[in-house]
Amino acid sequence: MSGATNKANLQPAYVLHSRPYRDTSLLLEVLTPEFGRVGLIARGARGPKSKIRALLQPFRGLLVSWSGRGELYTLNNVEEVTPTRSLHGDGLASGFYLNELLMRLTERHDPHPRTFSGYVRAIEALAVGAAGPRALRLFEKYLLEDLGYGLLLDHDAVTLEAIEEDQLYCYEIERGPVAAQTCVGGVMMRGHSLISLHNDELEDPDSLQEAKRLMRSVLGWYLGARPLRSREMVYAVVDGGIGWSRDDEPR
Amino acid sequence: MGYSPLIDRLVESLRCLPGVGPKSAQRMAFHLLERNREGALALSDNLRQAVEGIGNCRSCRTLTEHDQCSLCASDRRDRTVLCVVETPADVLVLEKATGFRGLYFVLMGHLSPLDGIGPKELGMDLLLDRLDQGEIVEVILATNATVEGEATAHYISQAARSRGIRSTRIAHGVPLGGELEYIDGGTLSHAFADRRET
Ligand SMILES: [Zn+2]
Repeated sequence: MSGATNKANLQPAYVLHSRPYRDTSLLLEVLTPEFGRVGLIARGARGPKSKIRALLQPFRGLLVSWSGRGELYTLNNVEEVTPTRSLHGDGLASGFYLNELLMRLTERHDPHPRTFSGYVRAIEALAVGAAGPRALRLFEKYLLEDLGYGLLLDHDAVTLEAIEEDQLYCYEIERGPVAAQTCVGGVMMRGHSLISLHNDELEDPDSLQEAKRLMRSVLGWYLGARPLRSREMVYAVVDGGIGWSRDDEPR
Repeated sequence: MGYSPLIDRLVESLRCLPGVGPKSAQRMAFHLLERNREGALALSDNLRQAVEGIGNCRSCRTLTEHDQCSLCASDRRDRTVLCVVETPADVLVLEKATGFRGLYFVLMGHLSPLDGIGPKELGMDLLLDRLDQGEIVEVILATNATVEGEATAHYISQAARSRGIRSTRIAHGVPLGGELEYIDGGTLSHAFADRRET
């Protein structure tokens, strides 16, 4: 980063993570459309008289202003866009999953406008408890695109022909879908699901399920060996406690 | 500085206290040495004894110098109700402010996946063992009103439900004496959503 002063005024933002900084401050990681992930210091936010601490909770749509130079900026002002409905229960676990993905896969100061809008839609869907899985899959798709790992979804990686609804494909990571009847080391998908994901539809349960398997496999590739901790947030009845329920995947 | 290595070391040690920077640490050191050597000795004795003698209660994990804390050992507490809190300080606050007669369980933190703290790191298995023993009929979730506190409460409530144990969450909302106009939107929406029959 250069020595120039960086300033932003009323930038839309969501807090992804916060941790104590010095005695009474917080070090925040926020997601913004124009500046990507930004590290901000909220001075005095942990003090007993702090009025902004409640605002600085994750999953609340904020407008933030900052200034400073270097890697970390100083938060000057924060307000809430509109009172946000808070996340509850499993929605909260899915919210942590989104934040963990962003913390793990994005770098500071890389702008990700599509990821941001996908994030806002996912948080809103999780808050009302409807269409959460669809919003999560679309968020994952936009995130991969913004990171430069966009999925090939509209044509066969070998023949370059358009994906056919009724054909079966083997999706190979970093290559794309290849028409096949068997699939080793890839994810088997119906053409219909690929097209549905390509068009941001995902309205039928089968497409949703196949898109989830594809995303899990692709994201797992980029995340590497370290597992996502947010998967442990939901109490799993089947294995007696520690871990993720049934499908071992955020909804 | 530098004319007395012992003073330097004392100043440096005092800086481990929260809110104490180099200036206040120096003030404290000189105050103790110039005006209150007796107090300083008592402080150092008590500090050493406390650090060496205090561990965690084997039942609820709060801080105690005994194997089991006085609340867990008492025969006057209701052993069927368990209140789950994040820190030992929360136990003190609730004991003072409420007439709660049950027992506590201190998590010593909360679930925080982005900080690498999952159920295992939090020692959730000790709490689950406790629920499995069959004595408890109600779990009161008194974790903080943060997203992590909320997620932790949700996790425990699911564990309780799967064992047929009732779980309740302390209410969050408008503080006593609070005027609606001055309450932040999140608190107000929470209070609104959690409204009850009157
Ligand atoms: Zn105890």
